[in-house]
Amino acid sequence: MAITAAITLTSGANDLVTDALALSTESSLTKATTTTALSNTTGLARKTTASTSQYTLLYADDFTADKAHKLYMKNTSTVAAEYFDVHVGSMKMGSLYAGDWALVPWSATDGTKEVFTITLSGTWAAADTLTFDGVTVNANTAHATTATILRATTYPNWTVTGADSNAIFTAKRARADQEIDADEWTIVDAGGSDAAISIATTTEGLHNASNILITPGQAANTIEYMLFYE
Amino acid sequence: MATTTNSLTLTSTDLFDDSLSISNTSTCYKAGTTIGLDQTTGLTRTYLTATTNIDIFPVVKDATNAAENGKVYIANLSEDVTEYVIVTIGDLVIGRLYAGDFMWMPWSPKAQHAQDIELSPSVATGMSVEFMAIHNFANIYPTGADS
Repeated sequence: MAITAAITLTSGANDLVTDALALSTESSLTKATTTTALSNTTGLARKTTASTSQYTLLYADDFTADKAHKLYMKNTSTVAAEYFDVHVGSMKMGSLYAGDWALVPWSATDGTKEVFTITLSGTWAAADTLTFDGVTVNANTAHATTATILRATTYPNWTVTGADSNAIFTAKRARADQEIDADEWTIVDAGGSDAAISIATTTEGLHNASNILITPGQAANTIEYMLFYE
Repeated sequence: MATTTNSLTLTSTDLFDDSLSISNTSTCYKAGTTIGLDQTTGLTRTYLTATTNIDIFPVVKDATNAAENGKVYIANLSEDVTEYVIVTIGDLVIGRLYAGDFMWMPWSPKAQHAQDIELSPSVATGMSVEFMAIHNFANIYPTGADS
């Protein structure tokens, strides 16, 4: 398998500088520290924006950090004034104007995924419910059974593991704004007893340092991008 | 008007069932115009013998205005596949250029030191890199320290 990237930079004599510029470089896109070609890709994606808000093209925690990933981007516009600002994490790299392209390495530096444990206490009835992250589950009189139900439930933004009476929630994305506490759970204590929960955060979340983000200069711009990754 | 053309091809016959063939050619223009970028740092080739990070372009002095734009080319000339150079902008890592890799990126430096591009070689045994910026930044060179 082989992926070849080639760049040429050219300028005539007495143009950019007094002599002609003719730079040509060719590279094989390989895995880190090997001559084996990168074997994965996101495919060539095309995104048309609808506002000048910032968009996340790629989340670092979807990819292994510190490899030899390569990211290709192109602003497909033909209107000279139209651009995207390209950011790695909080840092703006530069602006891709109409027709501009970029090929950059990407370290995909991960953040930290928030982790918390929920513990049930008190007396629970079968009609009691627990709602979190938009998902409602029916409780059980046995705490361990309820924990099993929680572990078997699919949440949009969390995966759940654990054993016995434990339900350990791990965020699917590294974020710094997920301070989960008991107030973010809704308990319907239909039995009118003393059903209660406690939340213990075991790992504080932290944003990915190097998500790839774009900010369009105009509302409706189209960017093409493709990540080659390990 | 300075006209600098940059072209990229990305090809593979076996990454997919179908062939990959991406080809782009564009011109280095000042921001939002069809006027060519008219300044360059020139192509620099340097041999790095320490893993200390280095600034590859002069300090930028709050150099930004509406028409400023820049492009950066960096290549790792090493032939040892285990060697790489870490490319950072400001205090954030962009990625690693392994032996033979190159990159081409837009660059919009603003405040002094805030968006400087730095390289950190993975080894101190010697590694050659090339780099060049094509731009129209004002006041890209730092004020001389000598009186």
